[in-house]
Amino acid sequence: MNDPRAKEPRNHGPQVGRSVPRKETHAKLTGTAAYVHHLVLPGMLHGKVARSRVAHARIRGIDTRAASALEGVYRVLTAADVGKLIPDPHYGPAFHDQPILAIDKVRFAGEPVALVLAYDPHVAQAAAALIEVDYEPLPAVYDEVEAMTSKAVVHEVLKPAGTFPDLKHLAGKRDTNIALDYHLERGDPAKAFAQAAHVFEHTFKTQQVLHLPLEPFVSLADPADERLTIHTASQSPSFVRIEIARLLGWPENRVRVQVPFLGGGFGAKLYIKLEALVAAAALIVRRPVKIALTMEEQFYTITKHAATLRIKSGVDSAGRIVARECEVWWNGGAYADIGPRVTQKSGFTAPGPYDIDNVSIASYALYTNLPPAGALRGFGIPQLVWAYESQADMIARAIGMDPLEFRRKNILREGRPQATGTPMRDAAIGQVLERLAQRMQWQAPFDRGSGTVRRGRGMAIGFKASISPTTSVAIVNVSADGSCHLLCSTVDMGQASDTAMAQIAAEVLGMPAERIAVVHPDTDVTPYDMATLGSRSTYHMGHAVKRAAEDARDKLLALAGELGVPPETTPIPDLFKKKYGMQAGNVIGMGSFVPAYAPTDHATGQSSNVTPYWMIGATGVEIEVDTETGVVTVTRMINVADAGKAINPAVVDTQLSGAAIMQLGFTLTEQMHFSEGQVTNPSLADYKIPGMLDLPAVIENEAVEANEQAGPFGAKGVGESGTFGVSPAIANAIEDAVGVRLTSLPITAEAVYRALRKAAGRPLDDE
Amino acid sequence: MRPFELLEPSSLREALGLLDTADETVRPAGGGTALMLMMKAGVLEPSRLISLRRIEPAWAEISQSADAVEIGALATLSAIEHSGIVRSELPVIARTLRTLANVRVRNVATLGGNLAHADPHMDLPPVLIALGASVIIASRGAERELPVAELISGYYETTLASGELIVRVRVPKQFARFSAYRKITTRSADDWPALGVAVALDREGPVLREARIAVSAAFDRPLRLAAAEAVLRGASIDDEAVLIHAGDAAADEARPIADERGSAAYKRELIRVHVRRALRDALDAQGGTP
Repeated sequence: MNDPRAKEPRNHGPQVGRSVPRKETHAKLTGTAAYVHHLVLPGMLHGKVARSRVAHARIRGIDTRAASALEGVYRVLTAADVGKLIPDPHYGPAFHDQPILAIDKVRFAGEPVALVLAYDPHVAQAAAALIEVDYEPLPAVYDEVEAMTSKAVVHEVLKPAGTFPDLKHLAGKRDTNIALDYHLERGDPAKAFAQAAHVFEHTFKTQQVLHLPLEPFVSLADPADERLTIHTASQSPSFVRIEIARLLGWPENRVRVQVPFLGGGFGAKLYIKLEALVAAAALIVRRPVKIALTMEEQFYTITKHAATLRIKSGVDSAGRIVARECEVWWNGGAYADIGPRVTQKSGFTAPGPYDIDNVSIASYALYTNLPPAGALRGFGIPQLVWAYESQADMIARAIGMDPLEFRRKNILREGRPQATGTPMRDAAIGQVLERLAQRMQWQAPFDRGSGTVRRGRGMAIGFKASISPTTSVAIVNVSADGSCHLLCSTVDMGQASDTAMAQIAAEVLGMPAERIAVVHPDTDVTPYDMATLGSRSTYHMGHAVKRAAEDARDKLLALAGELGVPPETTPIPDLFKKKYGMQAGNVIGMGSFVPAYAPTDHATGQSSNVTPYWMIGATGVEIEVDTETGVVTVTRMINVADAGKAINPAVVDTQLSGAAIMQLGFTLTEQMHFSEGQVTNPSLADYKIPGMLDLPAVIENEAVEANEQAGPFGAKGVGESGTFGVSPAIANAIEDAVGVRLTSLPITAEAVYRALRKAAGRPLDDE
Repeated sequence: MRPFELLEPSSLREALGLLDTADETVRPAGGGTALMLMMKAGVLEPSRLISLRRIEPAWAEISQSADAVEIGALATLSAIEHSGIVRSELPVIARTLRTLANVRVRNVATLGGNLAHADPHMDLPPVLIALGASVIIASRGAERELPVAELISGYYETTLASGELIVRVRVPKQFARFSAYRKITTRSADDWPALGVAVALDREGPVLREARIAVSAAFDRPLRLAAAEAVLRGASIDDEAVLIHAGDAAADEARPIADERGSAAYKRELIRVHVRRALRDALDAQGGTP
């Protein structure tokens, strides 16, 4: 996993703050990096999933005879087979609502109904197409706002997992699509609105999109030796082990989860995806079973929430926001996945990074008959920023104030309470805003274009709390030659966590990061980690790694003391040689970390300590609009973030641009299209992510000089911050350029063109 | 994908013999770039593929006579893109190819396969139609010539009979004509176009003698826009208003189809704007090099 040829720098100096080349680069560039897709075990069967073709229906019967009769088919499994192994085969991180294979009912088009096993995946695929399901159609609901009151109910009864105290009140609730209603109340919004000089109310919408890692989902379960080993492209190996053990009623140590590199994750590969299905199949047929999804099947697995956001703001005569009311409806699709956490953990930041005394938030997780929605790079924050930063410009424009000045006047300053009541700490909101304004030369004259090409610019700033409280554990193992292993269950899915974690350990141990080999997640070997998600690893696992390295360092120093040699100058190999008489032995350091946390009050949403740290991200863009076609071209994009102290500045830079480019696609080109709940564009040919030619000609990234006092070496997360401001910055720039306001994503050329025609009093009539 | 048989005949004659069958599941394969995608998607399940890659190399050659360029149907798109003959005689084709798919696809995909595929989003058909090109079609013991405009009859449909292969494409040299192609995508740059506009203009001094306008992607097959062409016939190239009129005429006569790339109403507006811009491109590009 580490290139043995990696050269150690001669004079290594500090390891934190150094742009160490990524440890995996050589293996990836030479095609030798291991992925689950490559893995083949003796006697292994390939599984292909037969999926529902309807969005909501009762299953009257499943006819598997033709599929079973196809030559080469080993076995066809349905929920009836799974039920014999696992009496209650429902899984999920927030709700135990998702069946391994559909039981009696399907809730979205694309839901797994049966699994065909064969030695040849092509045979399995052909057989899967032969499975006939007799459906009794049920009324379906697709829109998140309609789902609030719809007669079509996706789940008859709510089944919260019980692991989250704030979901307990939902247990056993019947005939509702509301999987969670989160409320926050602060101050007296009604009174403040009554006294406000101006009141603004707008509704914004975002579309359903998805992660599309270039490595689709893949899992392989091996049932040898009365235990189960799962090789899986997962961002959460520890969760997979615990959840599979729960489903099987086994102790954790009978389930082993191994994760090599991931070809991208972005939140898709969290919790359970294929793992429960491969586990059940492998145990039923007592053979290794591998399921590798196609690119198309990713569209039926997990997506990003479409959302409707209503935001009402009261502003005084000086331009201060005095009251804000936010109502957010999250379209969670047919299974809750982590949606209820998005609803709450992001919901409480819905008023934005602004200092507002009177706030009311209602945030609803809704079930609908669409593919499930979960976490996607930002965990709901980009949807919220889309609303509050679009509105920020609309308000500034309406009251005749410069948008930068309006933000300056209202942003949350250090020490001021956020809407939950938690005081802001080490949150460089003002600094990020000012650096963005400086880079954009906001006060300088701007070329506004001419003729059919009009130019504009816009900015937006957002913030995010870390999901909390979560635990990370790490082990540092020093060998007798002074080389070192780092054991941690953080998954390197392209974000360079192997490199960053090695840098943290190396800094403590006073050696170059190149000398530290990072052991990839293997739950038999690497200790617990909550998951690689939500920009939490650098802070949480970083802390655990630092503590493990400090523990190892302290033990080495103690060993030197015991041996009576100078502790600071004796080379590590000499310590082992002196202790054991030869090159032998180990020194093992352990560290764990869980931050302090105060849960939010169920009625008011208030908490004295809602997050260990805040992530701040802002984006500014310069754009051109072709007024004859509505085509928007982003010519310059600037991403500025507070990432605390950058452990690896080069990686921080690419995390910012990578996140911003991903959000650029969600802003301009990406959209899942549906017909009666069926995705009609499930391929890279018909669902368009940005390519090289779509990128802004100029992209600049900056992590401001900042320090997270509670973070390891002052660091905090950065994987999502680049997503926050992109969408509203572009919408704001469009209004700046051509005077029209777009309130729904994606901002297609046609949407801009139609807005221009409407503004000109010549709306484009449909044919 | 289901198992299939792959045959690799070494001559065109042998290939035509193998394709002379009533079995519709026997299909020819050129570069296979489109075919493989259809097979992976399960929309095409051939029992036997007749690969053309080993037939005589002459069927991939590019040559010229006094009045035409002849391109073998097995010429790869990148061979055409880089051909000196094509670049000097038909620069619009070389320019168009640079926007078509990507280098890896162009290195493999063949001209004949591209035309026979008849996907309405293809870039070459409108360009070849505007240039007045024709295809030479062979079958066992026979050969016929057909304008490209008459080859494609609908959505993934051609007028090729079973057992027929496109073997050459004949493109008249353009001499004083000048032409342009605009590929319009509405999502990412590498999307299938929402609209393709090809124009070829024949001028005598400052007067347009003839204009050919072929549009694609917004319809089930590439089409000529006769009303817009009529507006331009006999017009002065210095009259900017005539380009606007031509765009309006094109928008009025076109019947675009709505899809996820845009509504019919929006595509009509794109036709209005981009027919005008394509005419402007052609006028500006005259004498230019690819």
